[in-house]
Amino acid sequence: MKIEYKLNDKFDLMIFIPAFILIAVGLAAIYSSTVNHPTASGNFLKQVFFASVSLIIFFIIYSLPQQTFKKFTIPFYASSIFLLIIVLVIGKSVYGSKSWLDFGPIGFQPSEFAKIGTILALSYWLTYKDRDINNIKDIGIALMIGFVPVILILLEPDTGTAIVFAIITLSLIYWSGISLFGLFVVLSPGIVTFVSLFGTYAFILALAGVIIALFLFKRDIFNSIIVFVMNLGASFFFDYIYKILKPHQQKRIAAFLDPSADPLGSGYNALQAKLAIGSGGLLGKGFMQGNQTQLRFIPEQWTDFIYCVIGEEFGFIGSVIVLTLFLIIFIRLLKLSSIAKDKFSSLVIIGFLSLLFSHFAINIGMNLGLTPVIGLPLPFLSYGGSSLISNMILLGIVSNIYRNRKLHT
Amino acid sequence: MNDSSFGSSLRAKIFFVIIVGFFSISVLQLFNMQILQEKTYTTKANENSVKPIYQIAPRGVFYDRNHNILVGNKPTFTLRITPAAYDKKLSPYIETILGVKPGYIDRILKQTQQYSRYIPRRIAKDVPFNVIAWYEENASKLPGVDYVIETQRDYSFGVIGAHMFGYTKEIPAELLQKKKNEYMMGDEIGFNGIEKTYEDFLRGEKGIQYVLVDSRQKIIGSYKDGKHDKTAIKGYDLILSIDKDAQMIAESLFVDKRGAVVAIEPSTGEILAFLSSPQYDLSDFASVTSNEVWKKLNSDENRPLFNRATMSIYSPGSTFKMVSALAALEEGIIDTNYRTYCGGGFQYGDRFFKCLHVHGAVDIITSIEKSCNTFYYQLALKIGIDKWSEYAKKLGFGKKTGVDISEESPGIVPTREYYDKVFGKDRWRKGILVSLGIGQGELSVTPIQLAQYAALIANYGKTAKPHFLKGYIETKTGKYVEIKPKYFDAGISKRSFEIVRRAMYRVVNGAGTATNIRMPDLEIAGKTGTAQNPHGKDHAIFIGFAPYKNPKIAIAVIVENAGFGSVNAAPIARDIIKAYLKKDKVKIEKPAYLSELVNLKKIKNEN
Repeated sequence: MKIEYKLNDKFDLMIFIPAFILIAVGLAAIYSSTVNHPTASGNFLKQVFFASVSLIIFFIIYSLPQQTFKKFTIPFYASSIFLLIIVLVIGKSVYGSKSWLDFGPIGFQPSEFAKIGTILALSYWLTYKDRDINNIKDIGIALMIGFVPVILILLEPDTGTAIVFAIITLSLIYWSGISLFGLFVVLSPGIVTFVSLFGTYAFILALAGVIIALFLFKRDIFNSIIVFVMNLGASFFFDYIYKILKPHQQKRIAAFLDPSADPLGSGYNALQAKLAIGSGGLLGKGFMQGNQTQLRFIPEQWTDFIYCVIGEEFGFIGSVIVLTLFLIIFIRLLKLSSIAKDKFSSLVIIGFLSLLFSHFAINIGMNLGLTPVIGLPLPFLSYGGSSLISNMILLGIVSNIYRNRKLHT
Repeated sequence: MNDSSFGSSLRAKIFFVIIVGFFSISVLQLFNMQILQEKTYTTKANENSVKPIYQIAPRGVFYDRNHNILVGNKPTFTLRITPAAYDKKLSPYIETILGVKPGYIDRILKQTQQYSRYIPRRIAKDVPFNVIAWYEENASKLPGVDYVIETQRDYSFGVIGAHMFGYTKEIPAELLQKKKNEYMMGDEIGFNGIEKTYEDFLRGEKGIQYVLVDSRQKIIGSYKDGKHDKTAIKGYDLILSIDKDAQMIAESLFVDKRGAVVAIEPSTGEILAFLSSPQYDLSDFASVTSNEVWKKLNSDENRPLFNRATMSIYSPGSTFKMVSALAALEEGIIDTNYRTYCGGGFQYGDRFFKCLHVHGAVDIITSIEKSCNTFYYQLALKIGIDKWSEYAKKLGFGKKTGVDISEESPGIVPTREYYDKVFGKDRWRKGILVSLGIGQGELSVTPIQLAQYAALIANYGKTAKPHFLKGYIETKTGKYVEIKPKYFDAGISKRSFEIVRRAMYRVVNGAGTATNIRMPDLEIAGKTGTAQNPHGKDHAIFIGFAPYKNPKIAIAVIVENAGFGSVNAAPIARDIIKAYLKKDKVKIEKPAYLSELVNLKKIKNEN
């Protein structure tokens, strides 16, 4: 008997190939920005090593039985939180943020792996038995799952990563079918608290906004009052927490509000990144020929500013190709989330999509001068093992879901 | 709400809109930047770029124990070439002006090929002012060439100290790989001596100045009015234990001699004077060291680069007799009543071991005072190899002293295992021990070990590791931080030391072998030695300490190929002790002995 075997049926090339090309482009850009660098010249080979390891891990994850992920969700999440606490105690400071765990020559960022744990845990919780996504208690617990790591990461502090966690949490709750009112309940305390950082007038104005919105929702008076009290409570609670924090922790929160927190002024990096990309022109200055890159105007360009190497050396064409590869991955993930065989799988895919997209949008926005400078790596391209490996683990899980999509349906 | 809205197509569409929306905005912004405004950005990138300029921090300077300066810094001009902007056709002109051989610049550029073409290379250091004046006049015709003012070591304070101070060198590529967070290409790093040991204290912190440069790397102004600049912070100044007067006397006394001197403050282990002769001129290494200088120093048969004080191993001769004396007294093998008869030598087996004189009845005091060999031939046999080597090690021989410069030899103290290895198990004769008894044979020691040994005897077995660093001054706070000496105890009783010390007192002040250095107002105790040298005339050795009752200085002096220790080494020790204790006015002018350093003709003729 002849078995009709199609690769595409078991393995989603539509998502693997763009990711693979992005890793390769990233390696080229890392090579160009580090090979002549006196202290970072070893980074290219290190990244080749990380890429190989992440590919191996990808294929291992891909071939696991699908039930594995649900089974490992709770221990994975619990150990992620544990590591995030550990890193606050014994972590190593890199650029003023305590986000690294060091084991001799090997170091990693627990927050990268906490992303996987949080996506799995949220997906698990939101699809467990008779979950009602509009029940306050169920949403409350979902928010807790998502915001415990957010708070731990804010203490490091790593603002960018904390924002990513918040976006993932909100996307998953949203995808689970929360009502517009529910979404308002979830978002408003955060917004009011944030606004309250800008002074008393802003705070009163925000509260007025909440009251108006509550009128428009036309809910019963009891529910409306509860929501209003939640808003008030959240901002006062934050104020209380802020006051009992130690001065250096207060400083960190202040640094979050002050965009020029990094030592050379983030304006400097943003300007240099724009000059690099803008001067690239249509076709770019050519591989290893960008003078902004080769003169090393942008510190640590191979991490958060890798996109401007591509902008400068490969020009408009190269830059757009990279964006398009990301677009293909995003659209494909969105498609896969609706053909997944169960809600858990669908949520995991949306979790990965929101993770990739938030990194992508914040990083590209910063490189192109559209958003403030918030340090976050560009998925698949930036130098760094933890980020690449955790992305490839999630890609492995998604490919695994694709492989098993027709079972038991 | 109901389940139907989970992953509804409406919710998917909203995600879709956000994704495609952001994608479109990004592409539009790219189009705007790279196509529409390309020219503006290109001009800006070329004209208005910010570049960090690093300033080398001056190294910390060295002071002596009385805060007299020993090694300082002076500003010099350094000429540099940045390959990215440089035209190789200019090399012959520059080489002529600098007075170097053709191909010199090419060679430096090749040596530094692995670094970015935009980093300037130092072509010549300590460039004379007329070259700088020539550059200023012709700067516009010399693209890629510039100069900076840097500091370099200044050795013009009267002390040479080549082997203890050491020199700095441009950091080699392999080392740079390992220390790439602290150093950059072209940085100086301590290469030997104190400069190497205390590199981390001495190097300071680089300054950074952010400047705007145009596409030809020409500076067109400072970035944000220097808001982000950092000034260079000088390294820590070191307070050394050296006494400048004693050191200068030692150096002047050794101008025409080969050998070594180490003087130690016995209670603290602080090194007061340290010399290996012949020396070399450290200022030859302060800027780029020419090949001629290297060749000359390396081919010199007197080996001026070799640190004799810590690395050269000598046979200690009679100065080692106190080791046997202490071992025998401490182990109860003999006491002060023990006597032996010296008839001018000792017959052992088929060999006759000679003594210099016929001493008659000799006790432990006289044996040291008159340096009787017969006494020690016999005593060594009584002590036996195991106890003998145990006490040699207790007194610091056969292992590194751990002085704070890295160039040091452990020397050799032969043991039973040592001879078993050389001759086979128990296949060696006890006659070997007879020679060891008078400090000859396979035994070998370094001058610093001898000085430490003198310090141990002076201070009844208690001293600290010999060291140069007393403390340092933290640049930022101006605070003086003292370094605690590492004390240790030889573990031999005070009573045994008392006897040996009394004997050493009589060597100078009784009827001993060094009465020639006796002084009316200063009691020196010591011991002379003459070390056999298979390659030529014997080496003269003297170890001692003073004042006898409350020692402040312990010293070891070795003069190579000078014959008897009493005649040739003891007076040098006396003069250094005098300079340190009595603070005689030191009247030595530096050029007189510096110029003689270079040719050292006298020593060569002697051989």
